[in-house]
Amino acid sequence: MEINEKLIERVTKLVIEEINAKGGVQVLAQGVKAAGSRMAEKTSYAGFPVARQGTDPKEVVIGVGPAFQRQINKTINGLSLEDVIKNIKAGVEEEGMVPRVVKVLKTSDVCFMGLEAARLSGSGIGIGLQSKGTAVIHQKDLYPLSNLELFPQAPLMTLETYRAIGKNAARYVKGEKVTPIEGQNDPMVRANYQVKAALMHIKETEQVDSDIPYIEWN
Amino acid sequence: MKLIAGVDIGNSTTEVCIGSFDDDGKVTFLASASKLTTGTKGTLANVPGIKAALEEAMGRLQKPVSSLSLIRINEATPVIGDTAMETITETIITESSMIGHNPSTPAGTGQAVGTILHIARLDQGREELPYILIADSSYSYEKVAELANQYSKRLNLTGIILQADEAVLVWNRLERKIPIVDEVKNISQIPEGKLAAVEVALPGQTVRMLSNPYGIATLLKLNADETKQVTPIAKSLIGKRSAVVIKTPHGNVKENILPAGEIYLEAGKTYVVNIDAGADKIMETLEEAGEVEDIRGQDNTNIGNMLSGIKAGMGEVSGETGGNIRITDILAVDTLAPVPIAGSLAGEACLEKAVGIAAMVKTQQLPMEKIALELKRQLNINVKVAGVEAVMASLGAITTPGTRLPLAILDLGGGSTDAAVIDEDGRVAVTHQAGAGELVTMLIQTELGLTSRLEAEQIKKYPLAKIESLYHMRLESGAIHFFEEAVDPKYFGSVVLLAPGEMIKLTQDIPLEKIAAVRSEAKKKVFLRNAVRALKKVAPENNLRNIPNIVLVGGSAEDFEVPEMLMEEFISFKIVCGRGNIRGTQGPRNAVATGLVLSYIGG
Repeated sequence: MEINEKLIERVTKLVIEEINAKGGVQVLAQGVKAAGSRMAEKTSYAGFPVARQGTDPKEVVIGVGPAFQRQINKTINGLSLEDVIKNIKAGVEEEGMVPRVVKVLKTSDVCFMGLEAARLSGSGIGIGLQSKGTAVIHQKDLYPLSNLELFPQAPLMTLETYRAIGKNAARYVKGEKVTPIEGQNDPMVRANYQVKAALMHIKETEQVDSDIPYIEWN
Repeated sequence: MKLIAGVDIGNSTTEVCIGSFDDDGKVTFLASASKLTTGTKGTLANVPGIKAALEEAMGRLQKPVSSLSLIRINEATPVIGDTAMETITETIITESSMIGHNPSTPAGTGQAVGTILHIARLDQGREELPYILIADSSYSYEKVAELANQYSKRLNLTGIILQADEAVLVWNRLERKIPIVDEVKNISQIPEGKLAAVEVALPGQTVRMLSNPYGIATLLKLNADETKQVTPIAKSLIGKRSAVVIKTPHGNVKENILPAGEIYLEAGKTYVVNIDAGADKIMETLEEAGEVEDIRGQDNTNIGNMLSGIKAGMGEVSGETGGNIRITDILAVDTLAPVPIAGSLAGEACLEKAVGIAAMVKTQQLPMEKIALELKRQLNINVKVAGVEAVMASLGAITTPGTRLPLAILDLGGGSTDAAVIDEDGRVAVTHQAGAGELVTMLIQTELGLTSRLEAEQIKKYPLAKIESLYHMRLESGAIHFFEEAVDPKYFGSVVLLAPGEMIKLTQDIPLEKIAAVRSEAKKKVFLRNAVRALKKVAPENNLRNIPNIVLVGGSAEDFEVPEMLMEEFISFKIVCGRGNIRGTQGPRNAVATGLVLSYIGG
C-alpha cells in the first residue's frame, strides 16, 4: 500500500469525525479528571503574574516545567534545581545577555516548553528545562519538535553542562558560532533510569494547567 | 565505422572520450565519462578505474565495451608532486612574563597596574599599594565578587585575573568596576608579589598600551634599557583583546630560528640554500641555477627526509632505482602557521614563519605499457599507448571555440602545473613545474590551523557563506540570500561552504573574511607564480607576449576564482586567457582524452 499525503489526510479526517461524533476531546479530558483520584493535587498558580512578552533583544527566556522547584526539587541524577537554573543563568550572563525564567504550565513536553520560552523571549531564543533535567535550546520560528540543540540524556548532565547550555543559547542570540557541548553517552542510561524518568515525567504532567499558560518565575 | 576510446589517466581522475570514425576518416564525438583514478597514477591499480570509466561512457551509448575497436591511453608524464611544511621560528615566553589572548568575554575596559595578590591572601594586602587580584577556578564568581567588594573598601584593587570563564559575571557584581581578564588556564604559574599591568581593550578594538613598548614603560615605570628588552613582548601582544604583562627580572618573549636544513641544487655546480632564508631566497637561487638536474636536502634534517621520502615513493611506483629518480623542480612559498607558544599561561598561539615546499620528481618512464597489456588481456580489445600527455592536451584544447595557433595550454593539476605551447607547424614545447592544487590545500590548512586536510580541500573548492539566521545567509560578496524553507538548525551561526547540492559546516570558529583572504592568497601564491614561471619557460624567446592565447585545462581550471585571477594577470600582456571549453561542451576537462581520439587520424 502506498502511503501518501492524501491517504493521511483521509485517515485524519475519519479520526476527527469519530472524535466529534463522541462529543469531542473535552469529554475525554473530563473523563480522565473524574477518574483521576490517584493524581497528586494540582498546585494552583491562579493570581501569579502571567509571563509577559519580552522586548529586550538581549533576552534569553528559560522555560521550566510545571513541577519545577515545587513538587520536584532535584533532577533525575540529584542536581539541585536551584543550582541548575543558577548555572544556566550564569552562562547567559557571562556572554553578556539577559536571562529570564518563566514557568510553562500548559505543557510538560520539553520541546513545547522550549518553544513557548522562545516565543516569550525578546530575542526569539529560549531554553526549555524539564524538572528531571532534560533541556533544549529553541528558536521561535522552528517547528515544536525541531530545535537548535537538544540534551536528551538528563542522567548524564552536570552543572558545567548547564552552564554551557546557557552560554550557547546566548551565543545563538548574538548570531555567533556555538561551541559544541561535550556530552557523555552511556548506553545503559536508558535501562537504569527509564522507570524514574517515567515517574518524574508523570509527576510533572500532573501539574499541567491548561488555564494558565505560563507565569513569571522568581 | 570504428569506435575509438581515448583514456587519460590523471592524478585524481580518469577521463574517457569515445569518438567514431566513418570510412572517410571523419570523426564524431559520442560520449565522455570521468571516474576517480584507482591507485597511484601509472600503476596497474589504475585498470579498474579505466574499466569503470569505459563502461560508463559506453553505457551512455547503450553499447557494450567490447564494441570498441581501439583504446588509446596517454603516455603519462612521469612526474609526481609532493608537498611539505617546515616551521622555521618558535616563540618562547620565559618566567611567565606575559599573557596575551582573546577570551571571548573579558570584562571592563582600560588598564590597571598593581602587585599580584592571590585571593587567598587578601588579608595580607597593604593599604598603600595597588593590587591585581588573581583567583583560580575553585573560587566561584560570587565568592570572588564578594571578597573583592569586601576588601576594596580597605585595599586598592585595580584589576582581576581569573582562571574560569567568569569575567562578566564577576564584573556585573562589583561595586567598583575594574578590568578583568579571564580564561587564563595556567593561573598557578603567575608569580605572586610581582608588579604587573593588565589591559582590556574597548569592544571591537585591540590592546593599545601593552602592545606599545612605551606604554609598558609608562605603566611599569621602566628605564630605557628595560624598555628595549620588553619590545618583543609588546610586539607579540599586537592584535589581542586582553593582555597582562608581569615585570620579572629575566622575563621576556624570545623568537628562536629553528635549524631547518639546507637544500642542494645540482645544476652543473652545486647551489646551496638554507630553508631559513625563506621562500624568495630559495626561488631566487633556483632561477639562478637554471636547468636543474637534481635537488637534495641536507641529511637528517626535515627537508632532507622529506625530499628523500618523495624519491622513495616514486621509486616504488616506477620500479626504478635511486639514480634514475630525480627532483627537477621545487616551489617554495612563505607562510604563517599558528603554533602554541612555549611557556604560555593561557594557551596562546603565535603565528610562526614557515616555508611550504612542493617538489616534483622525474623518472625515466612510467610503466604505461604494463597497464596497456593488462587492459588488453582483460577486455580483449586493442590498447595502444599513444602520444605525450601535453601534446594530446594541446590537441584537445584546440577544440575550444575561438582559439588559434600558436596556442598555450596551462594544465593546473593537483601535483604539478604543466604548460605547453603548440605553434603553427605543430611543434610542441612542454614544461612541468612543481606546485599546484595540493600545495594550495596545504597552505590553507596550515594558515588556518585546521586539523583536517579534507576540510582545507573543501575550503579551496567552494565559496563561503555565513548562516546569519535560520532564514538567510550572507554570501562572501556581502549579498544576502534567503532560504525558501528554514535551514537545518545545526548550521545556525556557522560559516559554511556552498558545495553543489549541500552546505558543509566548518568546524572551527574562524571569521569568513579571514578564510576567504587566506584562501585567495594561497591560490595567488601558488597558481599565479607558477603560471608565469611555467609559461615563461615554454614561450617563444621566453617572452610571454609571444603567446596570443592561453587555454586553461585540468581540474584546478574548474576552480571558481583561479581562472579570473590568471585572466587579470595576463590581461596586461594582451593575452587571451580563459577556461577551456573542450569540444565546446566539456569545459576544461577531457582535453587529453579528446586529443587521444583526435590523434588517431594522424596514425
